[in-house]
Amino acid sequence: MDVIKEDQVLDCTGMLCPMPVVKTTKAMKELQSGQILKMIATDPGAPPDMEAWSRQTGNELLRSTTENGKFVFYLKKK
Amino acid sequence: MSVWKTNDPDVKKILYIQTHGEKDPERTATPFFLATAAAAMDNEVAIYFTMNGPQCVAKGNGDKIVIPRKGGGGKELKFFIEQAQEMGVRFLVCQPSLDLHGYTMDDMIEGVEMIGGAAFNDMACEADAVIGF
Repeated sequence: MDVIKEDQVLDCTGMLCPMPVVKTTKAMKELQSGQILKMIATDPGAPPDMEAWSRQTGNELLRSTTENGKFVFYLKKK
Repeated sequence: MSVWKTNDPDVKKILYIQTHGEKDPERTATPFFLATAAAAMDNEVAIYFTMNGPQCVAKGNGDKIVIPRKGGGGKELKFFIEQAQEMGVRFLVCQPSLDLHGYTMDDMIEGVEMIGGAAFNDMACEADAVIGF
């Protein structure tokens, strides 16, 4: 798998729905178009939530994976 | 003119209806957090509080209503209210529901807007989704 270089990291470990979505939305607002946010979460609802969030907002979900037992998402600002 | 603010066809409009209040704390948080998630996805979102719903947005109740959690450690409703407001969710009430509890608009937390039955139905017809609790 290619390495994705993120511009910013957002750690939502321990946060429950809807906080990861809310924090991601806020963090993305700070980024420029084309920049990449790496978001880390432990909420079991996060993978379907981030897919839906990406579909709805048009910000691309480049990768959804797990690292060290945590969910990791790479999101590209539209 | 519609109560909805957006003219952008790409922005979806979601209207939540909350009818529960102090008597049913376990039924108070969900509309707020679903609305928060909807607003975080760039939708225009409003919650209409009717029947016992206005109790959720009455001053002081955010601290008083605690969402129970089995085993203890419930969370205050205030947390969910503030998250929703921060994401731009609008709170709407109507006069008859305030009268039911002896409330005036002065008893409502900041940001609550008054609409009537006609405006509510107009919003419902224009909405992409209407979800009632």
